[in-house]
Amino acid sequence: MTKEKIIEVIAENIKENLDDLENETIDPMKSMKDYGANSLDMIEVVSCSMRELNIKVPRAELADIENIDQLADKFLEHAEA
Amino acid sequence: MADNMHLHVDENNIAHLKMNDVENKNIFSNDFIRGFLETMDELEANYKPHCLILSGLDSVFCAGAEKDTLIDLSNGKIDVKDLLMSERLVNTEYPVIAAMEGHAMGGGLVLALCSDIVIAARESRYGAVFMNMGFTPGMGTTTLLQGLMGEFIANEMMFTGKRFKGSELAQKGTNINYIVPKKDVLAKAFDIALQISEKNVKSVNLLKYTLSAKKKKLLVDARLQEDMMHKLSFAFPETKERINSFYAE
Repeated sequence: MTKEKIIEVIAENIKENLDDLENETIDPMKSMKDYGANSLDMIEVVSCSMRELNIKVPRAELADIENIDQLADKFLEHAEA
Repeated sequence: MADNMHLHVDENNIAHLKMNDVENKNIFSNDFIRGFLETMDELEANYKPHCLILSGLDSVFCAGAEKDTLIDLSNGKIDVKDLLMSERLVNTEYPVIAAMEGHAMGGGLVLALCSDIVIAARESRYGAVFMNMGFTPGMGTTTLLQGLMGEFIANEMMFTGKRFKGSELAQKGTNINYIVPKKDVLAKAFDIALQISEKNVKSVNLLKYTLSAKKKKLLVDARLQEDMMHKLSFAFPETKERINSFYAE
């Protein structure tokens, strides 16, 4: 699994879970909050992406993540494990 | 009045109860439940409301049970006061409009199910999250959720525990009266309340009495089944673990 693929999946789920982003390009250096996500939106994007990528990251490890890029790194770590 | 509740009754006899426990984000703490019930008592002792708008915080309408209560339940201490709130809403003499600007989860969503008219926000999320914590739905969810969401969406909500976004529910065609941008939720509620307040209040009360008969029965039915399922599911050894990991989110 490549990081590009992971970012693509996360970006798709962000678009699916948030309004008015259909034509937006998701910048991985931004936080989901920058795209208007509330805390439950973020939980939903993360769980949908994990299901799609078939990985499981414990909630505690996600607490300090600041942007989409860091989330993708965390996913990649668990995909390779 | 309890300081976690704000009550205002306007010149049209429209009562507005805002659940306002900012610190604990409107979870069912004992103080919260007491505050809610006392405020309802106060409303009915001092006013003759034509209808009631029930709202919450901008971010959270109501978040349902608190962790300590659930852990107590998983330790076999069964003393749930949440149901008093559902029963109280179903048994009012006047119609209740749930104006949910923020999220509503678990028992918090049940407050809307016990109302007569429901308004949700496109941006917020609504979920029957009980099963995420390993135990079966309670507070009347198993018999009341179908009325608001439709049977099969209700099934999905209960089995998956998914927190559905308002905008997503709007596409699905549930029975929620209005799903509007968050900023418009209260205005919509007041518009409906005003239309009700113009009717003869005595007839409004009669109509409410008739319409609520079915819900009262559903709530009694739910209580029998759900209590039994709770006795079983809270006793599963996995449940405590799931409750703990759920609240780690």
